[in-house]
Order: sequence, then structure tokens, then C-alpha cells
Amino acid sequence: MLREILTPELFASAVRLATPIAITAAGAAICERSGVVNIALEGLMLVASFAAVATTLLTGNVWLGVAAAVLAATTFAALHAWASINLRSDQVVSGTAINLLALGVTGFLMETMFGHPGSTDSVQTIPPVFDFPHGGPGILGTIWTWIDVVFLSYTPLVYVGMFLAVFLTWAMYRTRWGLRLRALGEHPRAADTVGVSVLGGRWVAVLISGAMAGLAGANLTLEQVGTFTENMTNGRGFIALAANIFGRWVPGGAYLASLLFGFADALQFKLQLFSDVIKIPPQFFLMLPYLLTVIVLAGVMGRAVGPAAVGKPYKEKG
Amino acid sequence: MSDNDSRSRLTPSVEPDVTPGTDEFEKRLAAEQQSVDRTIRIATPFISVAIAMLIGSVFMLLAGKSPVDAYSAMFQGAFGSQRAIGETLLRATPLTFAGLAVAYGFRAGLFNIGAEGQLFMGGLAAAFVGVQLAGYPMGVSLPLILIAGAIAGAAWAFVPALLKARIGAHEVITTMMFTYIARYIVSWLVTGPLRAPGFVPQTVELPLTSRLPKLNEILPFLQPTRAHAGFLIAVACAFVVWFILRYTTMGYEARAVGFNQMAAQGGGISVASTTIKSLCFSGALAGLAGCAEVMGVHYRLFDQFSSGLGFTGIAVALLAKNNPFGVIAAAILFGAMSAGAGTMQLEADVSQKVVYILQAVIIFLIAAETIVTWTVQRFRRRKEVSPLAA
Repeated sequence: MLREILTPELFASAVRLATPIAITAAGAAICERSGVVNIALEGLMLVASFAAVATTLLTGNVWLGVAAAVLAATTFAALHAWASINLRSDQVVSGTAINLLALGVTGFLMETMFGHPGSTDSVQTIPPVFDFPHGGPGILGTIWTWIDVVFLSYTPLVYVGMFLAVFLTWAMYRTRWGLRLRALGEHPRAADTVGVSVLGGRWVAVLISGAMAGLAGANLTLEQVGTFTENMTNGRGFIALAANIFGRWVPGGAYLASLLFGFADALQFKLQLFSDVIKIPPQFFLMLPYLLTVIVLAGVMGRAVGPAAVGKPYKEKG
Repeated sequence: MSDNDSRSRLTPSVEPDVTPGTDEFEKRLAAEQQSVDRTIRIATPFISVAIAMLIGSVFMLLAGKSPVDAYSAMFQGAFGSQRAIGETLLRATPLTFAGLAVAYGFRAGLFNIGAEGQLFMGGLAAAFVGVQLAGYPMGVSLPLILIAGAIAGAAWAFVPALLKARIGAHEVITTMMFTYIARYIVSWLVTGPLRAPGFVPQTVELPLTSRLPKLNEILPFLQPTRAHAGFLIAVACAFVVWFILRYTTMGYEARAVGFNQMAAQGGGISVASTTIKSLCFSGALAGLAGCAEVMGVHYRLFDQFSSGLGFTGIAVALLAKNNPFGVIAAAILFGAMSAGAGTMQLEADVSQKVVYILQAVIIFLIAAETIVTWTVQRFRRRKEVSPLAA
């Protein structure tokens, strides 16, 4: 049975299911490194999901849908940036407000635009980038099938997400921007003293995390589900925050940590197929990603120490 | 000196004969600033609600609906008759408990965003214990069920509390995850082990002795409504929370840790144990919310029996500025919105989701208090060129 469970498709679906979380988590790393906690990611992803589907349904063009998703999430992120950076609100409370706002606005627009609550009509999802034939029998054929399924079977935004995770990690450690970003979260006063704009730098970071959550929402709806359902993000934004902690506030690390949650999710789907053999209620499988998040946060991998100034509003002197 | 004092009491504003830059000037300035701050602080919740309704109207107008019709329908649905008021109180009941839960957490510096999960566990305990206690007199069964609900809520908050105290795992994420886990546990129990015979996945109905009486059964001069005794218990809880915060060591320690952890630690208060106690107490209050819903409204447990009452509790606590009595008022306001939403949708054809938008804007404005402060000060500056505006 293990052979039937541990197929290349399981790993591929782990990557697919992880992608919305992973892209968001990579953005969360940028945001938190700048010193801003972004609890609003859940709501940003939800707004993006709605914008993606609604725009695609209205225009018939999925790429406009992707653009709308990024735009919508970035706009909502700007609200969070304004509140937490300029107005120095409690960042967690502001994030909570935005999550609720996202729930209300998407639900309201859904009923107003489509005339009913629940789900929208479905859109044609974006197809995978490559379409290679699977390998034949024999060792080489099997190896090719694994490579094909695990690495080459994805839709465009999955690859975009991978690229961004690598790129942002590079940028964080190898560019002047990255050095400044890290300084903002560790010691904003020091950064300010040497002439780095704390508020400006944090704004950029929050907007980046918003854009990433936007891509994640687009991936979730336009490449996976194909419809928008009320509150469809279902805690993914919060799991992304946990993945960011698990990945030690590094975009690449956060991405890899998310794969673990994706795997738990994929396993959950897979094991449900074997429910006549494994007599465990489906709810326990559905719990897996959330349970895993708690276990990870419980510090199985050791105590995680975040940026020193995360969550603290900064007041420029002068 | 005494001359100065009496004069400043009569005319609190800074007078021209006090030279700017001197200590006296600064002192008066600070005093005036403080009184301005105080006024604004009290006014903020009211201004926030007003602005939220304005923004709500924008959405209604965009949807081509009349905000006046919508809000008046909402008001009718919430306060138009004794029945409507009963409905408002019915909905205010769990929100009061949940609001108290979140507010107590905030006072101790903890954000119990997962009150919803503890609420589910409280409901589960009520549904389970309530059936077990069939046949006992109400004087025995009702208190026992409430205690069970509170314990269940506290227990559900315990692991996140422990993780926060020992490892520093952020309670926002852990309690949130525990909320999802609680929902799945309840979903499993009502479809499996605790399922009552029948088509609908739900538990067995509570016996009459395990149900909270209706308000009109206790206060016979009222017309029969759906409102139940849970509201009175919730109000009593507000007094208890107020008393604990104000007069007990537990409350003092919670406030000290919430105010300044380092100072509290330095003063000999154990931050870890205070964190655990506070989050568990918060969980107990949230548990009571679920308990009251099962004992007073549904009489049984089913999947999704709460659609975010715990989350609305956050809005309630924030609007109330974490004041226990403010929580009652805020819960009635949100209860009214929720009770009136149905009428609004029916009569003005406006989506009930507007209520979420109103709540979100209220939270946002309370968090960004400076928006309100800034607006008020900007307004004052225009009236008089005062050094306060600087």
C-alpha cells in the first residue's frame, strides 16, 4: 500500500498545494524582516482570490485575473502599511481588521455581482507549462516519470513562486536593499541614523508581501480550484505565517517549510482514498496541516528568534 | 502659588502671561493635552461607529441600494419590537462572553484570536454534559454544565498558553490553529460518536432540565422572545471580570504583565504563570459563550454551530476598549447589527455581509486611533492657533 501512497503524484500535489502558502510565506519573511507583522495575509489572499476569479469571469482573460489579484492584494496591503507604519496602530489588530474587511468585501461583492452567496461560476484554469509524455517501463522510464511529474508538471505561477523565493533570498542577503531591510527589523533607530528611510523601507516590504499574497490567491483560484468560494483561503495565511517562522524569516526557508504543510495536505487527500483500509475519520486528516503548524511552532526544531523590532511601530525623529 | 492654581482651575487653557518654554507652560500644556486626549479617547468608539456606517453606505450606494432604507430596516429588525429586542439580546449574549474573553486577554497583553475554538469546545462540553445530567434538578445541572463549558474552554486555551509561556510561540497563530482543530473535532463528533439518530448530523437534544430558561420565564412581565437567561449570566460575568481585574491579585498581575512585562518581572510577578492563567481564564469565558449558545439557543451541537462569534468577540473587545462594562454595550451593538441584518437584507435588499465591513472598519479605526485624534486636532487647529497642534 505504501507504494500506492508514495507516488510521484503525491509529491507533485504536495508542491501544488503548498504553493499558495509558500508564496505568501516568502512574502511574509520580507515583511517581518522589515519589522512589520502581517496577520492580514489571510485576508489579502482572499481578496486576491476573488479579484482573480471575478476579473477572469468579466474579461475572459486569466492573465488580467492574475494582475487584478496582485493589484487587489497590494491595495489592501497598503491599508495595512498605512495603519501600522504611518498611524502606528497595533499591527496585529490592524491585520485582524483587514481580514474581516476582506471577508466582508468579498462576500458583499460576490452577492452584489453574482447575485448569490457561496461560490462563483468556474473559470478555465491555467494549464501546466510543459506537456511531456510520461516515461515507459524500465528504470530509466521510471526515473523520467518521476522527474516529469515532480519537477515539470506545474502551472506557470508555481514556477514564478519558486523563482521569487530564490530571488528574494538572494536579494535579502546579497544586495544593499536586503541589508537595509534586515536592519529595519533588527534596529530601526540605527538604520534611521545612517540615513535609511525606516518608513519607506517598511512600506516597500509590506507592499511586496501584499503582491506575493496576490500571486498566491491567483495561483489558488486560477491554477487550482477554478472558482471563488467564500472564505476559501481557510487559514492558509496563518499557516504561511507559521511557515515563515519555521523557515527562520528567510524567503527560501519559508518556501521550503511550506512544502511540509503541502505534503501534509497532499497526504490527507491521498489517505482519504484509502478510507476503507485505514479506518480513521476524514476530519483527522483534515486537521493535519493545522496540527503540524502547532507542532512546528512548539519548537520541535528549536526555539525560533525573530527580528528584534518586529511588531514595534517606529517613530521618526524630527 | 495658590493664586496660580485657582486661576488655572478656572481657565484651563494656556494663558498668554505664562511664558512659553518655562516649566509652568509645559505643565499646563501637558494638562490640557491630557484632557483633550481623554475626551478623544472616550469619543473614539462613537466616532468609529459613525465613520463605519458612512463607509458602509458607500458600499450600499455602489450596489445601487439606499443606505437610509438599509439602516432603518436594520434598526427596525434590532429594536423595532420586543421580539426584535429579544433577538438582539439573544445575539448579544455569546458576544458578551466572547468579548470579555478577548478583552481579558488583551489586558494581559495576549491576543486570543482563537476564542472561536474555545467557544466550540465549550459548546461541545455543554452538549455532552447536558445530556449526561438528564434527570438532575436545574439547580444542580445548570451550574455544572456551565462549569464544564468553562473548563473545556480553558483547557483548549491551555496548550497555546503553555507554548506562549515556555517557548514564546505566538498565541495568534497557535490559538488560530486550535480553532481549526476544534472545528474538525466537533465535526467528527457530531457526524460520528455523538451523532443522534436521524438524517442531520447533530447531537441528541438537551433535556429540559439542562436548558437555560427564557428571559420571559424569569421576568414574567416581558413578552415571550428567544432571549434567554444566558444574557443575565453574561452581564454577571462582566461584573466578575471587572472585579477580578480591579481587586484581585490575579487581575493585578495580568494587568501588570500586559502593561510592561519587564517591569512586572522585575516586580516579582511570574510572567509565564500569569500568561498561562490569563489565557486560560480568557478561554473559560469563551467556553461559556459556546456553552450558552448550546444551552439557551440550539439545545444541541452541530457542525458550524458558530459562524465566527469568537471573531466578532475581538471587535466587541476592541470597541469596548477592553472595559468589561463597555463589552456589554458593544456586544449589544453588534448583536443589534446581526439581528437587524436579516431584516435589512429582506427589506432593503442589501447583503448581510455589510455587517462584516462595518465591524472591520470599526476595528481598523479603533486600532488606528490616531486617525480620529488627528482629525479632531486638525479641526481644533483650524479654530485657534494653539501650541497643542504642534
